[in-house]
Amino acid sequence: MKKALVTFVLLWVCLLSFSQNDSINRLEEVWIQADRKLEKHSVGYKVITLNDSLIQRNPESFTALLRFNTPIYLREFGAGGTSSASFRGTSASNTAVIWNGININSINNGQTGFNSLTVSLFDAIDVRSGGGSIEYGSGAVGGTIHLNDNLKFSDKKCVKNQVVSTIGSFETYQNLYKFKLTDNKLALNFGVSYNQSENNYKLLDTEFRNFNGAFKNLGFNASGAFLLSNYSNLKFYTANYSGERFFSGELPNPLAANDKYQDFNHRNLLIYTNEVSMLKHEVQLAHLMQEYRFFDDREADAFNFGKSNQYLVRYNASLSIAKWYANIFSYLEYESAFGKTDQIEERNRQQLSQSFVYKQNLKSVAFFEAKIRKDFNSDYEVPFTHALGLKIKPLKNLFIRANTSKNYRVPTYNDLFWPGQGNLELTPETSKQFEVGVGYKNNTISVDIATFQIYAKDKIVWTPNGDLDRPGIWVPINLRQVNNKGVEFVFSYDESFNKHNFQFDLNYSYVQAIDERTDKQVIFVPKHLSNLSLGYNFKRFSFFSQQVYNGKVYTTESNSEDFLLPSIFIVNTGMEYKLLNKKGKQLIIGLKCNNLLNKNYVSQPRRPMPNRNFNFNINYKF
Amino acid sequence: MRISKFLTKLFILSVLFLTACTSDDDGVAASKGNFENGILVSGEGSGAGTGSISFISDDFETVNQLIYKGVNTAELGTFLQSLAFDAQRAFIVVDNANSVTVVDRFTFESEAVITTDLITPRYMAVAADKGYVTNWGSTSDDADDFIAVIDLNSYTVESTIPVGNGPEQIIAKDGKLYVSHKGAFTTNNIISVIDLVDNSVEEITVKDNPDELFFNSNGDLVVLSQGRTLFDADFNVIGDTLGSISIINVNSLSIDTELVFAEGEHPSLMVLDNNKIYYGLSGEIYEMDENSTTLPSTPVLTAEGFLYGMEVENNNIYTLNASFSDLSTLNVYDLNSKEKVQTIPVALGASKVYFN
Repeated sequence: MKKALVTFVLLWVCLLSFSQNDSINRLEEVWIQADRKLEKHSVGYKVITLNDSLIQRNPESFTALLRFNTPIYLREFGAGGTSSASFRGTSASNTAVIWNGININSINNGQTGFNSLTVSLFDAIDVRSGGGSIEYGSGAVGGTIHLNDNLKFSDKKCVKNQVVSTIGSFETYQNLYKFKLTDNKLALNFGVSYNQSENNYKLLDTEFRNFNGAFKNLGFNASGAFLLSNYSNLKFYTANYSGERFFSGELPNPLAANDKYQDFNHRNLLIYTNEVSMLKHEVQLAHLMQEYRFFDDREADAFNFGKSNQYLVRYNASLSIAKWYANIFSYLEYESAFGKTDQIEERNRQQLSQSFVYKQNLKSVAFFEAKIRKDFNSDYEVPFTHALGLKIKPLKNLFIRANTSKNYRVPTYNDLFWPGQGNLELTPETSKQFEVGVGYKNNTISVDIATFQIYAKDKIVWTPNGDLDRPGIWVPINLRQVNNKGVEFVFSYDESFNKHNFQFDLNYSYVQAIDERTDKQVIFVPKHLSNLSLGYNFKRFSFFSQQVYNGKVYTTESNSEDFLLPSIFIVNTGMEYKLLNKKGKQLIIGLKCNNLLNKNYVSQPRRPMPNRNFNFNINYKF
Repeated sequence: MRISKFLTKLFILSVLFLTACTSDDDGVAASKGNFENGILVSGEGSGAGTGSISFISDDFETVNQLIYKGVNTAELGTFLQSLAFDAQRAFIVVDNANSVTVVDRFTFESEAVITTDLITPRYMAVAADKGYVTNWGSTSDDADDFIAVIDLNSYTVESTIPVGNGPEQIIAKDGKLYVSHKGAFTTNNIISVIDLVDNSVEEITVKDNPDELFFNSNGDLVVLSQGRTLFDADFNVIGDTLGSISIINVNSLSIDTELVFAEGEHPSLMVLDNNKIYYGLSGEIYEMDENSTTLPSTPVLTAEGFLYGMEVENNNIYTLNASFSDLSTLNVYDLNSKEKVQTIPVALGASKVYFN
């Protein structure tokens, strides 16, 4: 691996020496993002963006935000409990969460808990459907969720502050402060959030309340960009989170619940960028620390834990070939990860990855990308991956897009090293996928409909008969093949008449995720999933409504009708009024009602979700 | 469970007798409920679905899933550990739900759900008007384990008897309780003998992780210890402790015979039928005479799939191939021909077979 590293470095030193010094044209306003891959390498993909006002309309949880606004199915163990995602019918470790360009899925279990981070501090969340292992590595199979801090250089100095305070049912208090500074050579973001809730909602149709469901968490994010010269800038990003949750009980006896869970995360990223003429270089250094503690008995001091430290060094370069309307990108990454749990001694895993992307613009009618990636991992063989993306704009507002990619999910530390059960013979899961879509976009309407197929093989499954020499011992093996086929549809409409403004956003997806062995739908994947968001603004007043529908969900492999979760249809609605609406100063009050129809619904057996509830918020921007 | 089986036999005999007497008049005896004259299979449940009980009629013609839910429109939760019986009632022990649900054993209509003063309940024995339930207590405390004493008239826990770590299966016999201590979240190697007169507890040390136990026809207590796998501080496997079948004289509380398994062999599941002991080892079932002084060297048959529950009756061996992601399978083998004679879908995570 060392040899490979040296070769790559030498290669790029050579390229560097050809570079010329030339000033870049600076615009009045320059947006700066840590992750350029999403913007640059999504040719042929669908990306939807959840902006900060939408994020703030869904303060309840990251889970609720995604459930009501994206084509992702979330499986939640009661509101605020453990939460995992299924994107395009894939399994929980097949949705990657990307923080400023870095995959933050846990190395212990391969997932991100969607109730173990708060996202209100981020400026935008992008959701890209489809595989992205070339750009984001393991787990970017069904799709990727991107948490982004947006920084901006501006010729005009500007300082913005925002305070959002929310009081809700079940003694829920959520507070957020954000600070933004933009200047011509300096951009700074800073934010802190604190949330707490008793979360003791009534379990409808029972005598119980949600017991042992309280949570509190503190988040602190900061980021900054410094223009060092006309050619170079330096950026830093930090995100820190500390949370404590109790895991609520399930029917028939919620009072049996006794668990407590703590999360501690620190994520730090430093980026140096140099852009001279057609050549751009970037060096990134990152450190990620994640720790969880699980208390089986909330009163006791004893706990189980998992802790990981990941160190990343990246070298990115891109060359723009103006006369061919083409770009070449190179991404080199070295990662060293240390992981341990109370059951697993500390293990170190190292990986060197190199990817290349070639991007071609054909007369601004067609855009084409070809990508390849190879990883060298100290623990297992990671397959060579490749992807193609294509977008054609035959008419002004119409486009046709297509992509294909090979993606993977590596075995987790738990899969490999769990004492007495881990399996060192595991290989990464791989999947091949294809997508074709057509869309239309103008100033008021945006439509995209696509059909996709994912062929996943060697899915890692824990099973009591995994090791024939040791029947009864649960071990993970590369077992399952799953074929997903589906359709994703998104329709957005935004129109203004006089002072009236209407918004309509619809996501619908249909997924058949068939286990080859059983020829049945895989468990916890609904075939139909839809959400609709309606908005109306008039002068200082705005109204919104969110609804989500998902079809019934089977929980057994044979799709037994005796074990299923019924379909759900849930409506939230709210309104906002701007008490103060001046340039640079706004005071908005809002009221939101969740589960307006007071439906008794579950996303996990025997765990009712909250009954009708309210929150009131004050949002002050100055 | 032995008691329940004995009662069941008595009951079946009485029904046969009654039927014989009344068949000329009415044709059939009055049914006690839909779930009479059949087999009950309990399943632990999992993330895929609730713990549940399946009913299979004696002629294997009728199969009903989720019978508690069907009758009571409520779920039992996870993990349904075991059932206990008296003449008219069944007691369903669900460990994560900290509950004992009382139903009519023939109709499965719910009579009570006991949810207080139980902490990870595992097994229950019935004597007179009392139920005795083994409880693991808190996961982080090895010293708070206990037997909950339930008044079967008021359905409340009236007292507790503190015992050593990890009480598992329990038998009531002649005014005493016999408890195997498998060790809950860790390990243990004792059998507790509790005198119900004064709740005094005596302990017998056996091999590690004792689980199944019953009385043989000589009146001796037979205990199956599974043994366990040893890890070093870094959780590398460094060896095993031995499993055994221990035959205990309950008067002297001494081990008369100890049949020790080879290192690395961890037997599980053991039942007695017709003076023969049957036990499971690595998915294979072995048969031996209850007075045998050596372990058999060859299995009587290989159970299909993941052997997670077993019973033997009337020359049939009932094995459970448990699935935790789907319905499980009950396989019935003829002990003479070793042929599989029935394959029936049963509860998710199926672990126990009872004759009703």
